[in-house]
Amino acid sequence: MTVMAASSQLPAASQRDVVLWAEGLSKRFGGLLAVQNVSFSQYDGEILAVIGPNGAGKTTLLNLLSGVYRPSSGRLHLLGRDVTAEPMEARCHAGLGRAFQIVRPFPEMTVHENVTVGALFGKPGVSLAQARERAYDLLERTGLAAHADKEAHELTLLQDKRLEVARALATGPRVLLLDEVMAGLRPGEAQEAVELVRSVRDSGVSVLFIEHIMPVVRDLADRVVVMDQGQVIAEGTYHEVTANPQVVAAYLGTEEGLHA
Amino acid sequence: MELFFQTLLNGLLQSGLYALVASGLALAVGVVGIVNFAHGEFLMIGAFLAWALSTFLGVDPLVSLPFAALAVFGVGALTYRVSIRHVLLAPELNQMLLTFGLGILLQNLALIWLGGNTRTVTTPYQGSSLSLGELSVGGPKAVAFGLAVLILVALYGVLYRTTLGRQMRAVAQNRRGSQLIGIDVDRVYLLAFGLSCALAAVAGVLVATLLFASPTVGLVFALKAFAIIVMAGLGNLTGVLWASVVLGVSEALVQTYVPGGGGWSDAVFFLLIFVTLVYRSYRGAR
Amino acid sequence: MEGRALDGSRAVVRRPDVPLRSLLPLGLFFLLALAFPFLPLGERAEYLMQIAFFTLVAGVLALSWDILARSGQVSLAHAAFYGLGAYGFALLGKVMPWFLAMPAAALLAGLISLVLGAVTMRLSGMYFAIATLAFTEVVRTIIQNLPEGAAGGANGLLVPALLGGNARAQYFLAFGILLLTALVSLAIRRSRLHHAFAAIRQGEETARVLGVSVVKYKLLAFFISSVLAALGGVLYAGKTFFINPLETFSLANSIAPLTTSIFGGLYTTLGPILGATVLRVAEEVLHNAIKNGYLVVYGLVLMLSILWLPRGLMGLLRRGKRGGDV
Ligand SMILES: Nc1ncnc2c1ncn2[C@@H]1O[C@H](COP(=O)(O)OP(=O)(O)O)[C@@H](O)[C@H]1O
Ligand SMILES: [Mg+2]
Repeated sequence: MTVMAASSQLPAASQRDVVLWAEGLSKRFGGLLAVQNVSFSQYDGEILAVIGPNGAGKTTLLNLLSGVYRPSSGRLHLLGRDVTAEPMEARCHAGLGRAFQIVRPFPEMTVHENVTVGALFGKPGVSLAQARERAYDLLERTGLAAHADKEAHELTLLQDKRLEVARALATGPRVLLLDEVMAGLRPGEAQEAVELVRSVRDSGVSVLFIEHIMPVVRDLADRVVVMDQGQVIAEGTYHEVTANPQVVAAYLGTEEGLHA
Repeated sequence: MELFFQTLLNGLLQSGLYALVASGLALAVGVVGIVNFAHGEFLMIGAFLAWALSTFLGVDPLVSLPFAALAVFGVGALTYRVSIRHVLLAPELNQMLLTFGLGILLQNLALIWLGGNTRTVTTPYQGSSLSLGELSVGGPKAVAFGLAVLILVALYGVLYRTTLGRQMRAVAQNRRGSQLIGIDVDRVYLLAFGLSCALAAVAGVLVATLLFASPTVGLVFALKAFAIIVMAGLGNLTGVLWASVVLGVSEALVQTYVPGGGGWSDAVFFLLIFVTLVYRSYRGAR
Repeated sequence: MEGRALDGSRAVVRRPDVPLRSLLPLGLFFLLALAFPFLPLGERAEYLMQIAFFTLVAGVLALSWDILARSGQVSLAHAAFYGLGAYGFALLGKVMPWFLAMPAAALLAGLISLVLGAVTMRLSGMYFAIATLAFTEVVRTIIQNLPEGAAGGANGLLVPALLGGNARAQYFLAFGILLLTALVSLAIRRSRLHHAFAAIRQGEETARVLGVSVVKYKLLAFFISSVLAALGGVLYAGKTFFINPLETFSLANSIAPLTTSIFGGLYTTLGPILGATVLRVAEEVLHNAIKNGYLVVYGLVLMLSILWLPRGLMGLLRRGKRGGDV
């Protein structure tokens, strides 16, 4: 069990393809280093969890990955290509999808139109008719079919979260970033969401997700990256990281605890 | 060299007026969170009040100043009650367009009622001038500057030394939090908006003595005030003072030293607003 | 695996994008407008034709403004492109026939709008509004201060009369331009542009994360909108023979389309046209009653619409109906 140091070498541990490779990413807000020298790689078809106490810098890391922020230093490679300097839309076209922690539906569009936007612009060369069809398919797949013609602001939070995922999926990602999409769900609903993430992975998409609900992390994650105060403090299987004293210490300082 | 200092002095004197208009606007933006596009029209009302009181009742503008301030405070408070209050939670666009509509309404009501002509106010001290060594200053200009400084000192005194002022600054920093600690936010908004309009009216009275009153006199001052608060950074009240001096002095310099300054100085000024906004948008990003 | 519904609910009802019947009222408007010159207008025919002409121009201006607003760019620079169209036509009309000068002037305005659009790309809300207002004033003061030989200076310019001053022909030209504007608007509504514009307006960053090339679509909105606004400016210049900077670049020419679109119904094709018809007639009636300050309607209507009629006239027309905003 080692904490990965910043290295400019691709980890040679696996023969599988690396889809996402973060190399010493940092982000500074004024005096605050919200993300500090974070390196990790994600393999094709892998479900990778990022956990850590509140304020650890997880959402900021996701913002660096999807291009909402430019890193203060470090590089990012997506499917073997350096995308550090590329804007959000280019990363999307290259195969990066993202669902936001704080849901951001387009409020005056219908649910179906919301998803159509993802399907239409996520990849170049999709016609409007194709995008609309694909959006309907995704609504069925994410359990939103009955709400297709509602305006997005009429949805419940649970439905909003599904919409967030459906829209990200619609862009046809190779890597999907999910930020606490299960927070606030009841156990039954969370189970459905777990099924959905599995089915997404089975369709060939690698998933990186941030999650607080530990049973979900245990069930879903192939590998877990633990962040605290902007840094990666541990990385490994669920059982490895939860046994790590540093991780336990990081969580002990918070009210959340490591159990749930 | 003398010309240079005279120019600096003129610019500085002008900036007192600018600071007055801009502080009012900054108050509306900072505390109420509304960019009041009708700010210039409240100034216009102040200018016309000064003109009317002086022309029909023979009241000196300096005497009518507190009355104009009070009257326009009332108009502002009423405006807040019947309109602004209803869009506080609406999208920013709606707020902007509402005050924009209010500005057009007030301006055109003035046009209908009073016509498009400019009205001047005559005062006994109109032609007087003060000399400071080699430099000289028009009497009304000096008086206006003195008053502006006085009122600004009073304003900052209220903001930093009184309970109401502390409440205003608290609301400006954190609306929700202020509500939680028991501040009557609606009342603070009403007072802040009224005060903002009253400051515009005071500036209007001064503008009437320095220039004239007309239905459209407010627009250019409102735009300058906007440029100032953008330069200062939204909600930064002390920054407003510095930015006013920068604008006043640089305008004076353009008018003195750029050939044909008069016609082009408008273009320079609007270019300045434009460049400031664009520059800020790029610097502020990421 | 496609189509597996997690909640086991019934399959989704797939609807067409824009139902055709929603075009009916718009078609009716254009039929009426086409018939207007053939109505028995009586002795005031010349005057009524003039009002009708400027109503069509107001419709072009409002609808073109709305197209830009759909991408979230609430501009006060519409007067600038209207004015550039007018000035472009006045100057180019001296060296080429009108049917070339017209598109050339529009293209010129469109290209300039790309510059403005690129520079203001990162501004939003009030900052964007103020910047575009400042831009208009810069353009106006430049034209005003250029040597008289260049663009007439503060005194203004004579313009070659459009279509030899034939009022009926001019009316049909304006009709054609408004029809063109409406067709462009409808085409946008049925294309990917509609989705791009709406997404940018409702969440620019989210749109980008979903792959929308915001820069491209914002500029495209600017270009289309300004070209059409400039065509409106050409109509104005060609009808009035004489233009000057103060009137042509007047803030009123930016306010009118904005108010008209909000009053009629934002982000629709029929709304701005309907709004233009109502407001233009109201303005005319008031203008006859009072000389100064007849723009008061715009202020009042703007305030009332924001407070009580957020979806404009179109909101009244389709109360309770959902979607299909045409
Ligand atoms: N835009 C921002 N500006 C300044 N500070 C920020 C910004 N975004 C996040 N932060 C700070 O960075 C730290 C990490 O935040 P975040 O990434 O949201 O944590 P997490 O998602 O792990 O809870 C926090 O201290 C937060 O306050
Ligand atoms: Mg977070």
